[in-house]
Amino acid sequence: MSDMTKSIVFAVAMCVVLGLLLTGAATALQPLQEKNVENDRRKNILLAVDLVSRDQRYTHEEIAALYEEKIELFGATQTGEIVQEVRPDEEPVLPIYLYIENDTINAYIVPIDTQGVWGEISGYLAIDADGSTVRGFTITRHSETPGLGGEIERQWFQENFEGKRIVDRQGTFVSVRVARGDVERQVPEEDRPHYVDGISGATLTGRKLTEGLEQILWRYEPVSIKFRDNRIDLPAERG
Amino acid sequence: MKLTRTKAFKTFAGPAWTNNPINMQMLGICSALAVTIQLNTALVMTLAMTFVITMASLIISLMRNLIPDNIRIIVELAVIAALVVLTDEFLRAYYYEMSRMLSIFVGLIITNCIIMGRTEGFALGNPPHLAVMDGLGNGVGYGSVLLSVAFLRELFGSGSVFGYTVIPQSFYNVGYEDMGFMLLAPAAFIIIGLMAWLQKYLAGVDDDEA
Repeated sequence: MSDMTKSIVFAVAMCVVLGLLLTGAATALQPLQEKNVENDRRKNILLAVDLVSRDQRYTHEEIAALYEEKIELFGATQTGEIVQEVRPDEEPVLPIYLYIENDTINAYIVPIDTQGVWGEISGYLAIDADGSTVRGFTITRHSETPGLGGEIERQWFQENFEGKRIVDRQGTFVSVRVARGDVERQVPEEDRPHYVDGISGATLTGRKLTEGLEQILWRYEPVSIKFRDNRIDLPAERG
Repeated sequence: MKLTRTKAFKTFAGPAWTNNPINMQMLGICSALAVTIQLNTALVMTLAMTFVITMASLIISLMRNLIPDNIRIIVELAVIAALVVLTDEFLRAYYYEMSRMLSIFVGLIITNCIIMGRTEGFALGNPPHLAVMDGLGNGVGYGSVLLSVAFLRELFGSGSVFGYTVIPQSFYNVGYEDMGFMLLAPAAFIIIGLMAWLQKYLAGVDDDEA
């Protein structure tokens, strides 16, 4: 066999062997990985409403039990009604998670899916039942630069959002914004309730996140208004 | 023959100490900067990297008489990449949180110059048992530096070891503060620099003569 043929035969054989090996591993491990992703999603929803703590470890069962008990997925219509999520053949609804404690709504959670600098940023923003105070914010997935924009996955950045307000004193929607640097230094005092500390070296990620949050929260504004006026009702047939 | 005199031992001990890939050869610095903020991530990175380099060395060494010379670099890269993807899949299935913390750095093991260098420079020309020892030695050498750097950075940067707080509250009460600088990449650079200096001094290496 000539050198050329030998090289080609070897390369083809190698590709087949490695291809089979990797496909096998990926297929075999996929169910476990999907479980982890689902568990992580639930855990982040619970984190956003402070039902679990970042410093503690939980088993998949604990997370699942807590989630089943307290969190329910509904849909929000354009007029701000809360309806059962799955309603085929009707106008599309926005997904909204409700944290229900003793049959009253404690907080609502808005899924955040927005464009970052390099890819999608996904997470959850929880808002108190008063419709204006942020309960918590978590990031589940992002592809920002590690060490720069990637810092958005840090605890301090996410805890930054707690207690911020999405409306101003007059009750007008203003969203939550990421400041360029420290809020205390960069933002005039009357605007501070609507700003969170930014990450140094990640101005673009902050700007993208600010834009995304504003757009998404604006879409949910009809529901938020109803929450503010305390005119929210759960759909009659639940469960 | 004493254990320390065998060729296998020397192959292992060389890269682990006197020819340490990070401190002596200044290879693999990029990942050493990135994953050494906490001991946990540094440990998992060490295990992943040791696994990949040992297995890659073994596989390449077993096939060393089969691999056509003109595509050997591609073959080495394919073997390393396949092992890294396997490691990544495994971490995502069994250690999900850890794999999220390490983010892209597991994938970047592929480009870790130590592995490529050892498969090309050693495994391709040596029998499997020596190649495995060489892989292990480099893994240990790389890992020991990683863990030392991570220990210092976590201790002085966050006041903890493996996530457990060790600096007592009374220290903070009298004015002690964690060094925020330790959490930034330049801190790792400085620590690695000091460690390289210390090790070269201890091992009696004189760069001017080399």
